[in-house]
Amino acid sequence: MKYYDHFVLPFLIGAIVLFAVVLYKYVRWFWLLPPEDKRTFRRGIFTRKTFGAVGEVFSESLLHRRIFRANPLLGYMHMSLAFGWFLLIVVGWMETSYFMRWGFAPIHTHIFFKYFFSGVQNEPYYAAGYAFAMDFLLLFVLSGVALAWFKRVRSRAMGMRRTTRHTAGDRVALSALWFIFPARLVAESTTSGIYGNGSFLTGSVGRALSAGLGPGGLAAFEPYAWWFYSIVLAVFFIAMPFSRYMHIFTEIPLIFMRRYGLHSGDKQKSYDHFQIEACSRCGICIDPCQLQRDAGVDSVQSVYFLRDRRYGRLTEAVADNCLMCGRCEQACPVGIELNALRLNARDDMRNGAAEGRYDYVKGADRSAGEGRVGYFAGCMTLLTPRILDAMRRIFEASGEAVWWADKDGGVCCGRPLKLSGEVDAAAKMMDYNKGLFARHGITTLVTSCPICLKVFREDYGLQEMGIRVLHHSEYMLGLIREGRLRLKPGATVYTYHDPCELGRGCGIYDEPRELISGVGRLVEVAENRERAFCCGGSVANTALDDDGQRAISRGLGTALRATGAEAVVTACPLCKKSIVRGTPQPVYDLAEVVAGSLA
Amino acid sequence: MNKKVVVIGGGVAGMQTALTLSELGLTPVIIEKEASTGGKLCKWHKLFPTLTPASEVLDGLRRRVSEAGIEVMTGRTVGRITDSGVELEDGTALACDATAVCTGFDIFDATLKEEYGYGMYDNVFTTVDLEEMFNRGEVRMVNGEKPRRVAFLHCVGSRDEKVNQRHCSRVCCITGVKQAMEVKQMIPDAEVFNFYMDMRMFGPGYEEMYRQAQYEYNIQFIRGRISEASQTIDRRVQIKAEDTLVGRPLKMTVDMLVLIVGMKAGASNERLGGCCGVDLYPSGFVRPADQFLRNVCSGSERVFYAGTVSAPKNVGESINEGIAAAYKISRYLNR
Repeated sequence: MKYYDHFVLPFLIGAIVLFAVVLYKYVRWFWLLPPEDKRTFRRGIFTRKTFGAVGEVFSESLLHRRIFRANPLLGYMHMSLAFGWFLLIVVGWMETSYFMRWGFAPIHTHIFFKYFFSGVQNEPYYAAGYAFAMDFLLLFVLSGVALAWFKRVRSRAMGMRRTTRHTAGDRVALSALWFIFPARLVAESTTSGIYGNGSFLTGSVGRALSAGLGPGGLAAFEPYAWWFYSIVLAVFFIAMPFSRYMHIFTEIPLIFMRRYGLHSGDKQKSYDHFQIEACSRCGICIDPCQLQRDAGVDSVQSVYFLRDRRYGRLTEAVADNCLMCGRCEQACPVGIELNALRLNARDDMRNGAAEGRYDYVKGADRSAGEGRVGYFAGCMTLLTPRILDAMRRIFEASGEAVWWADKDGGVCCGRPLKLSGEVDAAAKMMDYNKGLFARHGITTLVTSCPICLKVFREDYGLQEMGIRVLHHSEYMLGLIREGRLRLKPGATVYTYHDPCELGRGCGIYDEPRELISGVGRLVEVAENRERAFCCGGSVANTALDDDGQRAISRGLGTALRATGAEAVVTACPLCKKSIVRGTPQPVYDLAEVVAGSLA
Repeated sequence: MNKKVVVIGGGVAGMQTALTLSELGLTPVIIEKEASTGGKLCKWHKLFPTLTPASEVLDGLRRRVSEAGIEVMTGRTVGRITDSGVELEDGTALACDATAVCTGFDIFDATLKEEYGYGMYDNVFTTVDLEEMFNRGEVRMVNGEKPRRVAFLHCVGSRDEKVNQRHCSRVCCITGVKQAMEVKQMIPDAEVFNFYMDMRMFGPGYEEMYRQAQYEYNIQFIRGRISEASQTIDRRVQIKAEDTLVGRPLKMTVDMLVLIVGMKAGASNERLGGCCGVDLYPSGFVRPADQFLRNVCSGSERVFYAGTVSAPKNVGESINEGIAAAYKISRYLNR
């Protein structure tokens, strides 16, 4: 048989297994998508979104632009492996096709081109051109492999303090991957050495091998070299769909589906598979995690959570031990919805019928006032009465008629229950509060708690009820802009802590800063806005003990003290309570600072 | 002989340490950061469970200190302990043969429990504020009226992880009982409620006093902590709690809320710790070399502890530790 040798068998078997498994997975996941997701997908295909997705596949799956931005060396490593290998395949295929006069070539022909077309000389010019291009691309990929080795030893040089601890399966796949390109170099150089061809890389290595082993030795060595190359390819291909390397393909459908508007939600669904298996376990999520940094917890980070969930060995200990601060999601180069996946895993593990548990909420209306503007303090503001009092003064000063939704006690907004996975119980709270808001006919809902704010905005559907939901920072700034509130400028130097639920959670960064700048001088923490630290008090973490929380508060405290500010301002009552544990600076809520500067 | 021992802190433990050292023929020097000796006891009216006036104990100790001719440096603060003595905050080095750390505790800052409104609502006080009222001879609301209903809240800043205070401060349970009784003595028709999570009556006569408070004084003890407090329009305090014995939430309005504040590790421990064998517990109190046979010794052979610097203690226990520390110091210096 032409273009056949027994050594191609491992490669062929590997490739068939790989494509069969990947195809089976994708077909199954697509099949299991909920009808509305399928509909969204279908509607997206013939739109401009498809072009965007193609562009993103090129820039992210091949070039790894986002990793480049995080660290150029790390980006180059990923790019040389992904884009380099891609080009090797494309150019290799073109080269083979050319020499085959564009006839049919079995898939292994271009993989083992050098072996089957060993007699091709460096003339005419196009042959030399292809040989040069292929050598150049191989060198490009090899430089990435060298960096990958270097990263094992000195990850800090690549911008990573900590790297992922891999499973045994990942180690097999990783070792095979590292061997593929050196093995290819040796096999191609051996053949080049025998036939005296090859370009600058394979040609010179071939001559060196020939000089070392002698022509007879080299000929005897040749089959082993090709067998070895074929076997490492096979090992990698077979391990690939079961290991972290499943991400290589999975990121592509994920990008398309995301562009078409699919999202993970409160409940687990088939789309989650695409997100989970698109994780390359690069470990970029580990360093931003404050549990890792300050509390010494090193087995719960998103990379490990996704891995455990993928292989069906997720425990509550891992699922629950997360602050849901969103710092890892912010850093993830694949853009996986890490918080949503963690939440719906908690729902799956814990959610149960809450029959009878919340019957008491009926008839709990202890609200007061008649205003069209409702103020929902939330449980944490009720525990920080200075904020409540500051809001009262602000409402008075602006002449706002307020309806106090829960000043004398009310029902929880539902977010803490939802964060712990009790989605159905949370829905009961939400239904109660929605009825309460509707009954009192408010048009604006103000809250000083970002935890409440997020759930009001995302899950209550208040906009459809004609109710505007505002964080008190937005509300106070609005009053100032309308001229209903006047502030005295001051000289106090404040620093501002971005609460997770307000910043990364609701995208509110500028309003608090504008307010603080109006009453004092604002100095920024080095890690601020999207990269701000968590205070450690997060209600999302039900597993972390008090010492761990305190360690995280102290870590934040160090950053806050480094600003030299006289006082810390934040915009979340829970953050206020937590920050006090980590810094001796006085800590205020935005409302206190504003109320203290009323002109 | 004539060996010199620096005693840091002139509270009951420090004064007793110095007195015993002097009896044993050594030369103690007391360094006190305040203008006079006495420590926290200066602000106290009467002591549990005997209702002995605090001044009686203090006067006795001060008189004996002065009769023994012990040198007392007031208004001076120790910056750090060195290998040869101590260094004052103004930089003065004081050489000595041994050091006794008797720096005591700090009172928990009740404003950190913002939900109780201390420093914000008119009629929320601490046990320390109430002792001052006792010293003045009358218990009054901010508007000058006699309170008709008073609530005490136990464990404010004790056994509370949320404010970094995991330990039990021990003496506040009985302090709450004592103060509740004193309020009843001064205002017999007042209703008094004590909200607690456990009542820890560890000392001689404490349990008897607790029973007396219930049977003779009709003080209501409700098991359950107050969750939050708010101020009413007439400046009284509305409290929400749960009576965990009947499993019901309750809400009441009182004229006065007294927060029974706990003992916090002294802020100076952090400064003195980390060298010369002074090691701290995670709570911030100093850690003795061991808790049984060397509980007044530090990691260094020339540094010793007495009193509440190492853990919450009552007055009697602190005085006993002063004697124990002095004997250990004398054994060390007369080797």
